[in-house]
Amino acid sequence: MSRFIRPAGALLKKYSNKTALVKPCRWRATSAAPSYEQTLLNVPPTRVTVLDNGMRVATEDSGTPTATVGLWIDTGSRFETDANNGVAHFLEHMAFKGTSKRSQTDLELEVENMGSHLNAYTSREQTVFYAKCFSQDLPGAIEILSDIIQNSKFGQAEIERERGVILREMQEVESNLQEVVFDHLHSVAFQGTPLGRTILGPTKNIKSISREDLVEYISTHYKAPRMVLAGAGGVDHDALVKLAEQHFKGLGMQYKGEAPEVPPCRFTGSEIRVRDDSMPLAHIAIAVEGAGWADPDNIPLMVANTIIGSWDRTHGGGAHNASNLAHAAVIGNLCHSFQSFNTCYKDTGLWGIYFVCEPLKIDDFMYNLQSEWMRLCTNVTEFEVERAKNILRTNLLLQLDGTTPVCEDIGRQMLCYNRRIPLHELDARIEAVTSDVVRETCYQYVYDKCPAVAAVGPCEGLPDYNRIRSSMYWLRV
Amino acid sequence: MFSRTVRSVIPRKNCKATIRLCSSGEVKPGGDIAITKIPLSKSVPWLSHPVYASSAKHRNETKVTVLENGLRVASEPKFGHFCTVGVVIDSGSRYEVAYPSGISHFLEKLAFRSTQNMTREHIMGTFEKLGGICDCQSSRDTLIYATSVESKGMAEAVSVLSEVVLRPQLLEEEVTDAQMAVTFDLEDLQLRPEKDTLLMEMIHAAAFRDNTLGLPKICPPENVLKIDQSMLFSYLRHHHTPSRMVVAGVGVDHDAFVEYAQKYFVEKPAIWEENQNLSSARTIRVDNSISQYTGGIVKEEVDLSDVSLGPNPLPELVHLVIGLESVSHQHPDFVASCVLNMMMGGGGSFSAGGPGKGMYTRLYTNVLNRYHWMHNATAYNHAYNDGGLFCIHAASHPSQLAELTQVLTKEYATMVGYMSKEELQRAKVQLQSMLLMNLESRPVVFEDIGRQVLATGNRLQPQHFMELISNVKADDIVRVAGNMLRSKPAVASLGTLTQLPGFSDIEAALLDKNGYMPTRKRHVNCAEL
Repeated sequence: MSRFIRPAGALLKKYSNKTALVKPCRWRATSAAPSYEQTLLNVPPTRVTVLDNGMRVATEDSGTPTATVGLWIDTGSRFETDANNGVAHFLEHMAFKGTSKRSQTDLELEVENMGSHLNAYTSREQTVFYAKCFSQDLPGAIEILSDIIQNSKFGQAEIERERGVILREMQEVESNLQEVVFDHLHSVAFQGTPLGRTILGPTKNIKSISREDLVEYISTHYKAPRMVLAGAGGVDHDALVKLAEQHFKGLGMQYKGEAPEVPPCRFTGSEIRVRDDSMPLAHIAIAVEGAGWADPDNIPLMVANTIIGSWDRTHGGGAHNASNLAHAAVIGNLCHSFQSFNTCYKDTGLWGIYFVCEPLKIDDFMYNLQSEWMRLCTNVTEFEVERAKNILRTNLLLQLDGTTPVCEDIGRQMLCYNRRIPLHELDARIEAVTSDVVRETCYQYVYDKCPAVAAVGPCEGLPDYNRIRSSMYWLRV
Repeated sequence: MFSRTVRSVIPRKNCKATIRLCSSGEVKPGGDIAITKIPLSKSVPWLSHPVYASSAKHRNETKVTVLENGLRVASEPKFGHFCTVGVVIDSGSRYEVAYPSGISHFLEKLAFRSTQNMTREHIMGTFEKLGGICDCQSSRDTLIYATSVESKGMAEAVSVLSEVVLRPQLLEEEVTDAQMAVTFDLEDLQLRPEKDTLLMEMIHAAAFRDNTLGLPKICPPENVLKIDQSMLFSYLRHHHTPSRMVVAGVGVDHDAFVEYAQKYFVEKPAIWEENQNLSSARTIRVDNSISQYTGGIVKEEVDLSDVSLGPNPLPELVHLVIGLESVSHQHPDFVASCVLNMMMGGGGSFSAGGPGKGMYTRLYTNVLNRYHWMHNATAYNHAYNDGGLFCIHAASHPSQLAELTQVLTKEYATMVGYMSKEELQRAKVQLQSMLLMNLESRPVVFEDIGRQVLATGNRLQPQHFMELISNVKADDIVRVAGNMLRSKPAVASLGTLTQLPGFSDIEAALLDKNGYMPTRKRHVNCAEL
């Protein structure tokens, strides 16, 4: 109680060796306990019901006094065009600005007075609106979610005001160099395709997006079969299904014209360098094309990622790191931090590493990194794979702490896999990964592949693209 | 169980993990597809349907057992297949008065290194094997070692914890590594644009000048090379004694937990008991003094005009924290002071995300929504065993510092004024929901148990606090706020301080009914002097 007012502590959120995946939100699968018996006893089931209009309701009832419920929608910036890039994100902002039933102030006060939280986010392929509340307030929360989804007013004055807010958000994003580098990485890796665009959209669009654009986007994409109502914590499945039937029955399931297509996004090995020698450190990401959401290769790719690991220099432990790259980084003082990542989309993905280092160390770090990648493709050992599997399992499992992470897991998996992977199955899938599987998968995805490279800052020392490319294979294999 | 069969048939050394057995053990048609080739969207046909638990609502109760050497063991059952176990110790920077400040900072960095009976590799290997993670965090009044592991690994986790807490080796090279890590921490603090940690240090130093809670938590640069093994052992010998510790667990069976605590924490001695030569011979008693709130000012003139790490310039800010004496977490007014904190609320002027983040708290409605030059304004209530500190942290461009100060003193003064019923009710409900939502997380429950048992010997359930919160009346808030305003202010400021009003003006403003500074003109002159 002494830390009553403290936000949920950061204690134990991370693996002490900091091997957590860089963007766990992008691929946070369900988890698995090595002992089947434990799984049997200690996790509530995920129940799924499909409503008449195609909307899916999925819940995990753990009986806590609080709950998280939300809508996961299969749409995002990938579904935009050059002309309306940014509209999905604009919509997320407009959702809390008043509906035909309640003004913005009424909505805000209602949520605040309930002690609830309302939140929304947009990614390239998903749009999410969720509420966190006391379990007894669930009916109210669902009603509010259904109202903002179906009856938002999009008043002209609010739209104009929100432009300023989004432009300011853009500034915030641009001061986060990791975000900047990842946007650049997408822009080259998926150049000429919808995945190459940013989520916020260009300034020009933010200044010009109109009410019609918003309405058009909603009527094209907010269809019941593309939505999942997910709930975790103190949620009764049957009650939630009833509430969903009551509040979401108005959602359409048919398109006016043709159903929108999702064209495949092409990966292009390429690079972008945004050189700025006034910055103290270089921020660099390098990635090869990874696997789509449902691809089973994701499991070995994540194991491979875990072998590379993550590290930053404030983490003690000296040179005693299991990750070879971290070991090299300590010995040679090669970088300030690095994080490996595996970002998934429907049909493609990015598998790679993000690192921050001193200008004169880039070359050395790249050498160590690429040697390590080549080792994964040729002679990774059983010992390190076993170890990485355990860490991966732990990382996936420990993330599911609290109603919101569980709810996010349910929503995302329902959209990506149309089911929630049972714990014992994920366990079996991770268990089946051997050093041979890792080696073959890495060989398939990494070896002799053209990487996408994005560098921001004093990056003169980054080897030229042909040299990077020629380190993606070994002549002596 | 069946799972054992499945797991055993997956060949570990064979890359084509072809599964030939189905649940009844015969060859499955089409069973030639390896599990590594089945899309994640398809279920694996030969795995049986698992039987899940239902959400039986068991009443939670924290059990506490005191062992013969005074060590307290507390635990609570919880849903899930992981448990969090750890040790919460009455130790931290507040006890460092007779030592070079920074001991706890070092101990945090030295946690989970080699011990008498285990190497670092062994410890890390154990956690990897158990599917667990470990962490050590120090605060002003507690040091926490904690781990989360799969439930079946509880015994091993307790054994590792006992080694790490009672029998660390603190080898010379480990201390050197810690020096490096601490130096990097210090560099990072200077480099990072957000200055919250530094300001927290400064406001505590101002509020509790040169004593207990006011001692630095972050190792001062000049002490990095001073701290050595024997000093660390002397500190550990006196502060990490059984009676100052709680071994706490969430998601464990209490009897088994007590048994292992007895085995590893009581029957095996601490390394400094066995080998008295490790620590210096000089006896430095534990500083048992009660924290003395002094108030006062701590300011640091630094140029923050270029703090951005990237190509986009961040706005230049000056930071100001004004604090007042609050109450300890055992004080009857503690809950009311938390409600007051909630009512003041606040945050950044640019808040991403939706409603529910306190956008109708006073620091939003009266301050951030009204003065657009304000970058952020947030209220905090720090409560400790024997004292507390309530403060508001705000930032703006340096040219606005005088107005910023005036705005904060006015907000403080109106705390004893009128408050609407809705406003109070909202603050109470939000405090209740924040409490329950935080306690969704197992490590938070662990920390709560550890801290409560350390302070009082038992743990009150959240329900108890829910009732206390709903009983708070407007009069309580006014009383609590009035008591605070009668204390001498503590002020911390960081940045370009040419516009900072004098301390006596801030003091006078807080005593004024409307929170006004004596005269606007005068303080401008004062600042120029």
